[in-house]
Amino acid sequence: MSIFIDSETRVLVQGITGSEGSFWTKHMLGLGTPVVGGVTPGKEGQKVEGVAVFNNVRKAVTETKANASVLFVPPAFAKDAVFEALDAGIGKVVVTAEGVPVHDAMEIRSAALSEKAMVIGGNTSGVITPRTAMMGIFPYWIERVYRQGRVGVMTRSGSLTNEVTAMIIKAGFGVSTLVGVGGDSVPCTRFAELLPLFENDDGTDAVLMIGELGGTMEEEVAEAVGMGVFTKPLVAFVAGRTAPKDKKMGHAGAIATTGKGSVAGKIKALEKVGALVADRPSAVGMLMRKAMAR
Amino acid sequence: MCGANSGDGLGNEEVFMKLFEHQAKDLFKENGILIPKGELVENEADCGCAIDKVGLPCVIKSQVLQGGRGKAGLIQIAATREDALLKAHDLMGNRKVRKLLFEEVLNKEKEIYLAVTIDPVDCSALIMASSEGGIDIEEIAIKTPDKIVKEKVKTFRGLLPFQARNVMFGLGLKGEAFKQGVSILLKMFELFKKLDAELVEINPLILTGDGRLVAADGKLSIDDNAAFRQKRYPITRDHFESDIEYEAAVKGIPYLQFDGKIGLMCAGAGLTNTVYDLINYYGGSVASYLEFGGPNYRRAAEAMDFTLRNKPSVVLIVTFGTIARADVMAQGIADAIEQLKPDVPIITAIRGTGEEEAGKILRKIGLEPLSDTEDAVKKAVALSIGGVG
Repeated sequence: MSIFIDSETRVLVQGITGSEGSFWTKHMLGLGTPVVGGVTPGKEGQKVEGVAVFNNVRKAVTETKANASVLFVPPAFAKDAVFEALDAGIGKVVVTAEGVPVHDAMEIRSAALSEKAMVIGGNTSGVITPRTAMMGIFPYWIERVYRQGRVGVMTRSGSLTNEVTAMIIKAGFGVSTLVGVGGDSVPCTRFAELLPLFENDDGTDAVLMIGELGGTMEEEVAEAVGMGVFTKPLVAFVAGRTAPKDKKMGHAGAIATTGKGSVAGKIKALEKVGALVADRPSAVGMLMRKAMAR
Repeated sequence: MCGANSGDGLGNEEVFMKLFEHQAKDLFKENGILIPKGELVENEADCGCAIDKVGLPCVIKSQVLQGGRGKAGLIQIAATREDALLKAHDLMGNRKVRKLLFEEVLNKEKEIYLAVTIDPVDCSALIMASSEGGIDIEEIAIKTPDKIVKEKVKTFRGLLPFQARNVMFGLGLKGEAFKQGVSILLKMFELFKKLDAELVEINPLILTGDGRLVAADGKLSIDDNAAFRQKRYPITRDHFESDIEYEAAVKGIPYLQFDGKIGLMCAGAGLTNTVYDLINYYGGSVASYLEFGGPNYRRAAEAMDFTLRNKPSVVLIVTFGTIARADVMAQGIADAIEQLKPDVPIITAIRGTGEEEAGKILRKIGLEPLSDTEDAVKKAVALSIGGVG
């Protein structure tokens, strides 16, 4: 079926009256997402795309039985908004904002871990199950990327996601659920934490991981596979093999730090546990066929 | 418009929150951590005065952000006034160096490594310490891994005194030095929290012959994303190796300069890293990289102008956007070409929202809209090495 979003999911949009919030609410509804309510302090009583707006999450949850929330709030207010959602009992949150302070992200992740909630992001497009639902900002109308299928995708990047996912579509596959964990140095959910979800999902036959230099998320995936947490075929692409040392290309999550997080180290760890690692995006489709045939 | 990384919209000026040694030391001093007697010099004419103030022998430290300054010869020790002036003159002659920090030479009994950083997996702060300081932590990790003392600090609890004591016991400090060490570590953690730091590092923390613990070096990285609630450190020319990098940064456009042939305009870190890899894979080289995504997608003319300044033999534009609309980028590029009249070929793979319209715009000005990144890279590489595209 899918992960993260399922038939029970009832989505709240925090920051629904803003330009991003209302624009993407329209598209989330357009894809079929059950958006049941929105929150913007002081705007209760309004409607956005037919969706009722509330002053706070607590009331929205009481009235709509929302159990998931996607945030379209500026990065400086992300912490407040996530904690408001968690306090109201929401267990699944997507933070799209780019630029959440890292100390805020640490508090969010710490709280989510102890409360057994799942917070995705920040700095992410979110989560999408093609032809079904999404929480976030995906151009699902681009058919050569967002075709429904049976491959789970997890990614740290935005633009690269489209690029690489298009390659498995070209090879005849489709996407069960795509999760962007975000490009920040402290993502609130890490790749390895998604593996049990994909493992248990009947609708997912294999996983494509789109990684990058820096950090240790890809190494953690290799470790989890080694421990038997994930047993389905795994294909990976990791960007930044030839990245100049210590030069920052784009977001914070991709800084190459000496000795740790090198692409060579990631590839070695992944191949050791049987994952197939593509050397170019165009090789991903062929490797997925190979992985599925094994 | 605010920069791609600031995202807060509260200040117009661009910031660089990885601090120079002298800035870190100022903060240490303000917060009660001992630092050596020192004097910062911007003009060579002031070197003599600085030497008088700190005394001889003295250490002369180039204020650059790169690591391994000692090995690179960017830190010098001088015994006499003449020697110091000569060495300062040489250091100032390096194009990367714009400021020098003159400091007293400390009589060292012991060199300690002490740092507060982030563990993103556990989501805790991490204290790292070693009694074998004075070299990079990576080197310490290789040479004496058993001597690294670690202490994890839970996010909602903060560093407690017993943890600071455990670190100092681990370092083998005793008596007065032990007490000072505990106090310094607690202050470092306070700074880490208060300043939204990603790293607070003292290496070496010197135990002097007369029993004082002094921060002989300092690294402090403040999270750029927290600039809206912190003291802002505006970018200066010192932060960059080239004029173009600096001028682009002032305008909030991330730009990196290399010495290859392809001028790359690309959107997003992941795609950029991939295109960079592909250029290398197909035997090409990169002249520059410019972030064309985020808010910059509406600034094609400025982007193209910066890209052309490092004299690439071909410009390669690769995007696959969601919010950044392909048609807006294509129109911007069409306008930029009309305005700047570049005399080098331009290869485009501009995909995503609005790509059909983008294709029409590009064809109209005689560019071929490519849909495949690797095709685009191959063409650009061929053109850049003088082949036929």
